[in-house]
Amino acid sequence: MSDTSAIPPLITFRPTTGTMEAWNAAYVRVEDYLRAHRIHNRLHSSRLILRILERAARRHEADPAQDPTVLAAEEAEAMMDRWFADVLDERDQPHERIAVDGRVALLLCDGPQKWPYAFLETESVPTDFVQAMRAGALTAGPDMAVSSMVPRPIDLGPIPEAAGETLETFERLPILRTLFLWLIFAGVLAAIFYATR
Amino acid sequence: MTIARLNRRRFSFFSSIFGLTSIATWFMADLLWRGGLTGMELVLLLLFVVLFFQVAVGFCTALAGFYVINRGGDSRRITMTVARGEDVPLASTAIIMPIFNEDVSRVFEGLRVVFRSVEETKKLDYFDFFILSDSNQPSQWIAEETAWAELCKQVNGFGKIFYRKRLNQINKKAGNVADFLRRWGRNYRYMVVLDADSIMTGQALVQLVALMEKNPGAGIIQTAPRIVNGETLYARIQSFGNRVYSPLFLAGLNYWQQHEGNYWGHNAIIRVQPFMEHCSLPDLPGSEPFGGRILSHDFVEAALMRRAGWAVWLAHEIDGSYEEGPPTLIDSAKRDRRWSQGNMQHAWLLTARGFRPANRFHLFMGVMAYLSSPLWLLFMLISTIYVFATLRSPPTGATRPEDYTSLFGYTIEVPEALTLFVLTMLLLFLPKIVSIVAMLGQREEVERYGGRVRFVLSALGEIVISALLAPVNMMFNSKFVLFTLLGQGVSWVPQKRGSDDDGTDWREAIITHGGQSLFGLVWGLSALILLPTFFWWLSPVLLGLLVAIPVSILLSKASFGRRARELGLFLTPEESQPSYELRRLRQNLAECYRHLPPLEPLRADYGLMQAVLDPYVNAMHVALLRQRRSTEEAREWFAQLRQRLLHDGPEGFSTKEKMALLLDAESMIWLHRELWSRPASSLAEWWRLAMRQYNVLTTAPTTALYR
Repeated sequence: MSDTSAIPPLITFRPTTGTMEAWNAAYVRVEDYLRAHRIHNRLHSSRLILRILERAARRHEADPAQDPTVLAAEEAEAMMDRWFADVLDERDQPHERIAVDGRVALLLCDGPQKWPYAFLETESVPTDFVQAMRAGALTAGPDMAVSSMVPRPIDLGPIPEAAGETLETFERLPILRTLFLWLIFAGVLAAIFYATR
Repeated sequence: MTIARLNRRRFSFFSSIFGLTSIATWFMADLLWRGGLTGMELVLLLLFVVLFFQVAVGFCTALAGFYVINRGGDSRRITMTVARGEDVPLASTAIIMPIFNEDVSRVFEGLRVVFRSVEETKKLDYFDFFILSDSNQPSQWIAEETAWAELCKQVNGFGKIFYRKRLNQINKKAGNVADFLRRWGRNYRYMVVLDADSIMTGQALVQLVALMEKNPGAGIIQTAPRIVNGETLYARIQSFGNRVYSPLFLAGLNYWQQHEGNYWGHNAIIRVQPFMEHCSLPDLPGSEPFGGRILSHDFVEAALMRRAGWAVWLAHEIDGSYEEGPPTLIDSAKRDRRWSQGNMQHAWLLTARGFRPANRFHLFMGVMAYLSSPLWLLFMLISTIYVFATLRSPPTGATRPEDYTSLFGYTIEVPEALTLFVLTMLLLFLPKIVSIVAMLGQREEVERYGGRVRFVLSALGEIVISALLAPVNMMFNSKFVLFTLLGQGVSWVPQKRGSDDDGTDWREAIITHGGQSLFGLVWGLSALILLPTFFWWLSPVLLGLLVAIPVSILLSKASFGRRARELGLFLTPEESQPSYELRRLRQNLAECYRHLPPLEPLRADYGLMQAVLDPYVNAMHVALLRQRRSTEEAREWFAQLRQRLLHDGPEGFSTKEKMALLLDAESMIWLHRELWSRPASSLAEWWRLAMRQYNVLTTAPTTALYR
């Protein structure tokens, strides 16, 4: 048998309330969410999942009626909001604002790829990462320089003008249009009749 | 160029057309003359004059081009105003690309190539790039946003490449460009309009801006884009034809039009200020299809610029301007359907006050490009009736009028119809033959087409195929013109594309061309039974109609196109020696298309899924949305939609509902939050699948761009 005395004990966290299925579901949800953030560093991802679930478990102990998945999602969101606020130095902003700003900044600086251990890290956040996060800005368009561009009427000349007025009259009066079409049809018939005599 | 010299050029050009048309009319009148002209003969003669005039215009344009090229080029072309190597100070220029539900990979990879190419000229500071989207499909919109952000990240293009999504697609492309001009036009002296499939090299763009700066009277300079990147046999043949024959026609066009050229809607530079002042288009009298908004805006904008005194030039010899053509005959017909309606509308403007005669001629030729098809059909049908009618009363006497040609009282024993036929064929094919012969004389150039033997074989193939396609296009365009006149839309068979190589399937081809082939069959059988000699006169037209289905399928195959390329057939210099930009585009696109597509159940609503599920796409999308105040009623409606989306998935949603949700920032934030925090049991199966599969195989959202 191998010597097990050198192996440190397993992490002590384990939920005391809720079923294993419910906590597995919560685990999967947080894992999926981190993967959606392109956190492909498994080691870092595992640490974050544990930290998030630990917080969720504490809340679950206080209120076991809550679903662990919901609690874990809320904890993940709260952690991210706080972390984005610190990194971007944008405190006291509503969730909608800080979540959007933070994720856009993270996307623009390619944070998860370039700094694989930085996401949600509270201790020793790399300075260059913080700078990159703060530098990112999404500009869909330059400053507007509004001008007017008004259609100018084109004088079509007498024949098209008259034709246009006739056309508009036909459009207003469908009976007249029908009569005109009948007239054309009769004319074509007459022409064919004449041509074949 | 002095006015007198330009007038001399125009006099000789239009006199040649007039002369040729007059001679042909003489022969035709003589052929029809039977001691006078009956009503039917008069109609035939009039149709012939109009149609032959159009053929003569093409011939004389090519003839003028041949003359110009033989003299070593036109000394008065706009490109001569900037000396080779001259470093002209540039001015602020916006490169705009209006798009509408286009292939996102192609749009953004194309833009990447243009951006990089401009960057390499070291003149990037003068240029800004705008993607102006009118896309109205939810997934398309999200894919464009994501691709834009990725591209900007990769090329460091934030602040240089901009993305604008219009909420209301008023007035289509012209409205999209006008919207850009109203917002940002004042920031730029010039704009270069690109189509979604356009590519322009940095050198070409810099040259265009330099030309504008050196010619302060120029309002528009149009380049002549070469058709590239064809994969199917049809696209490659079109590309080959364009490459070999167009130089003659372009040089000829420039010869007589000079500063009164035309604008073709893209791959052109425009002086912004006068364009904004003079080129905002009013509606035509009445409503569509005759009136209403002007669909084909480019010709009209050129006419308006000219009316305001600004020059419009064709810079046909600028290299590095490319576009792509439709891959199949049916795709080409679909494009013609749109263009035909737009061009027919131009009839209103033929007599507009203040328009220059050259612009009226451009507008007229645009109308004729489509109107000529039903006129040709009418001409041939009346000819058929006329010939059948003569069967009942055959002429008496030793010599029949149609058996000899009469010229100023002299009789030549050649059938008059044959004389006319030869004359028409000469005018149609001589420009092609001249182009081919001229190319064969250039040893180095012809090597870029695969060598002499392959070049000749390709040219012969192109002539045969274009002859077979001409009657099919005639039938298509006749239908389009007729339907436009009747105010009807044309429906198309939905395409069933299994893979890129599929092309047109039998079902699509039979439904689309079946009527044409049946028409040809009835026409041909009637002629064969009643008058076999006439059948042989009609046979070139009938053959095209009868084989339309297999030819359409054959030409649509990318595998045949590739095989022809391997054999060195229909090769163009852009294929044998592609520019760096075209090579880059091809490589990048190949990389894009190698990527795995999203899972089949998620594919249809992938954009919506990303916008809700992906934290980055969601945040970026929300950041790009404009904040809107909504009423209590609207908020309630959105709340119901959101609940439904998470609970039932997007399957039962209409495009309008999806777009409404995507436009509402509050809903998008809520959906993202709720999706990730709800227990799986209260989410639709579709969402559960999406969450489990997302980013499992790819490390980035599946968009157009991966590097």
